[in-house]
Amino acid sequence: MTESRKLDRLDYLLCVALWLGYVALLLSTVKDLGYARDEGFYFQAARSYEGWFELLHKDFSAALEPGTVDRYWSANHEHPAFMKSLFALSHRYLFESVRVFREQGTAYRFPGMAVSALGVVVTYAWGRRELGRLAGLVAALSLAFMPRVFYHSHLACFDTPVMTMLLITTYAYARSLEAGLGWAIATGVLYGLLLDTKHNAWLLPGAFVLHFVLTRGAHAVRELRAGRVAVPSAFFAMALISPLVFYVGWPWIWHDTARRIADYVAFHLGHEYYNMEFLGRTYWKPPMPRLYAWVMTLGTVPGITLALFGVGLVTTALCLFRVWQQRHDANTEPEKRAPLHAQASTPLLWLLCLLMCYAPWWSDNTPIFGGTKHWITAYPFLCLFAGRGFAFASSRIAELVPKEKWALLAPPALACSVLLGPLCMMLHSHPWGLSFYTPLVGGAPGAANLGLNRTFWGYTTGAEQGFINAHAPQHANVYVHDTALQSWDILREDRRIRDDLHGTLSIAGSSLALYHHEPHMRRVEYQVWVDYGHDAPADVGTFDGVPVVWLYAR
Amino acid sequence: MGRARFLWLLLPIAGLAELIAFAHDAHRAPRIAEWQALRGEIAKLKGPTDLLVVAPEWSEPLARQAFGDALMPIADVARADVSAYARAIEVDELGASAHELEGWTVYESHASGRFQIRVRENPTPARVLYSFVDHAHLPFLDVMDGANVCPFTAHAVVSTGGLHGHLAFPRERFNCGGEEFFVGVTILDDQEYRPRRCLWAHPRGTGTLRLVYKNVLIGREIHGYAGLSYFLLRDGTHGPITLTTRIAGQEVESYVHHDEWGWHGFDIDTARFSGQTADVEFDVHSSDPSDRQFCFYADTR
Repeated sequence: MTESRKLDRLDYLLCVALWLGYVALLLSTVKDLGYARDEGFYFQAARSYEGWFELLHKDFSAALEPGTVDRYWSANHEHPAFMKSLFALSHRYLFESVRVFREQGTAYRFPGMAVSALGVVVTYAWGRRELGRLAGLVAALSLAFMPRVFYHSHLACFDTPVMTMLLITTYAYARSLEAGLGWAIATGVLYGLLLDTKHNAWLLPGAFVLHFVLTRGAHAVRELRAGRVAVPSAFFAMALISPLVFYVGWPWIWHDTARRIADYVAFHLGHEYYNMEFLGRTYWKPPMPRLYAWVMTLGTVPGITLALFGVGLVTTALCLFRVWQQRHDANTEPEKRAPLHAQASTPLLWLLCLLMCYAPWWSDNTPIFGGTKHWITAYPFLCLFAGRGFAFASSRIAELVPKEKWALLAPPALACSVLLGPLCMMLHSHPWGLSFYTPLVGGAPGAANLGLNRTFWGYTTGAEQGFINAHAPQHANVYVHDTALQSWDILREDRRIRDDLHGTLSIAGSSLALYHHEPHMRRVEYQVWVDYGHDAPADVGTFDGVPVVWLYAR
Repeated sequence: MGRARFLWLLLPIAGLAELIAFAHDAHRAPRIAEWQALRGEIAKLKGPTDLLVVAPEWSEPLARQAFGDALMPIADVARADVSAYARAIEVDELGASAHELEGWTVYESHASGRFQIRVRENPTPARVLYSFVDHAHLPFLDVMDGANVCPFTAHAVVSTGGLHGHLAFPRERFNCGGEEFFVGVTILDDQEYRPRRCLWAHPRGTGTLRLVYKNVLIGREIHGYAGLSYFLLRDGTHGPITLTTRIAGQEVESYVHHDEWGWHGFDIDTARFSGQTADVEFDVHSSDPSDRQFCFYADTR
């Protein structure tokens, strides 16, 4: 294990460059991406919250009336409010007040992009501290270049934000174990915000406690016997500060708190089963396939990133084994035995967090309702291990020619060779992020052959907007299928869809009908056939020759 | 360590190999323009009673767009099965082939662009004498809901259930009162969510819905399939549905269908009536009064 390094000025510059670069890339590509189904619901909620913020500004006490709070904050109360509040404030100040963005959809999406880019930055910072600058950069860019991460980072949703918040909270916790009270308090605040972002937060304390027991448990017991408490101060902060932050950040639970939190927990513990195609079969009730998360990770994360992760994991395991051996070697003098936490704390924390993010997928009762986004929180840790694998491999490759000057070029050359593929895949996947699969499964055609999910959330309406605008009759109704009407309305308001076109959930009155392909929804396509009297699409949106979304004309 | 230390060089090689594989995958499937370029050739090859099939199945929307519904009409795409087709044109990409046509003789095969085109012949095509789905209108069919006659209309308002709702209720139907109580041709989703064209026959409550086809040419069997929308009723929580068949007033067989079976075949031996022209009655009944969205296909052969 290596000693942590402090970040210097160049690192801070790189952090800023990474953040700006990723946000710029997201903003430059956002226009091609239709609004996902859930984004429509979050836009609607954010509008409601924005109304409350305005009222708060005008009439503070009226805004705090219980009835008023409930009226504005009941929208989408199955999810906490942190990100949706940011969506609302971004819309208020970056679209309504100062027209930073021309499209309100982009204004809603901006906080998600900003927070996602922060995840890339923190991955760099942590990788830099533990592994070195180039390895940190490889870790951060491996995360940024994952096609699914790139897709989700565009959205006004919670998945990459919760990925970032979970990473930052874990980073603060790790720092709190080394340094003073400031990081502990930061952990408490950040965990509160994480709780306010998405329910993925619930399992994190378990990972922290297990990490504490494994790295410092024996020491804590000895201290306890001596009458001293040796529990990380971050735990106290998480117990005292986080609930407060969670409460303050979510006005919906200001009243009737216990019942509403119980409802929130019950909603997610008893989440309904959605339909998900996996290896040619649509799953819709337990038992769910236990291979799902693992196969989808293999099929959607670039193989070279997984290979580096494998190297990083194995080298970490070997190091941990050596530390363990040394500690249990009777010939080693006790004072020379390094404490376990000094040697293994950070990689063990990464490993536990990674396993925690995948833990729900060990159960065949866990409903699949969103694919890779539900364990996307694991990916920064996966990439940190990839960075570790890179550091190890590049040192071994440099040793092949130890006295040659160009050995210095080996690490950057290796970095280019492991990042070029993921970069190309990420760029190519846009705007079909959820249809992208890696060469391990044969790309999009291979995935279609295997019967892996091709798309969900109805966001690919964005890919058909040009055809719709060019071919729809004046004042036509367009059947939007899986796209939420709220998402369609934002497309119209942003003038991405012609103003005279109306979105509808009724095929009967429509002139054009969209169909976003998922096998269990094909029934809807057949309804269109019966009503329109033919089965020939007017346009088919494809990714690498694989149909993803198609459009019928009456 | 020796030469083993050079194994680390496999990492950059793997990174670049993945990039090459990615570029290959991205371009290996034909694009819509290539499908469209194939249309003329397919139109020449395909006779009016031939079936046009594409493989892999996921590429079918591209074929339907490129070839149009003249070459791929709903009746073919949403077929009950392939047994009645004597000849098929198979268009394959990526080395796939249509499982449905396994066992059919390849009469001709050639490459065209990135496609493989095969003309196949069914070694034992069934000769359909009468399709009950194709004759689901006046003057061939009368429908009775108990003692009440269900009038036929060719101008009903089409109703579709959308994302979570019922199958399409067609324009042409025998209305038995109440939106879902009718007899008419629609398309259901089978257990693989593929389309199946069928005759909707939803009995009211625990009553019996009777379909009477007049002057039907009877063969050696009635070949059929039955099902309900698999997406809507696959959990199998409802009671079974019974389809009772009578020829010239004589009961020949009752078929009992369970929702969770999906699209399920049945064959009724009619050899004793073979060659005769007679009335055929189908009675649809269930002791479960709710959501009996039964839909079936049948022909004489």
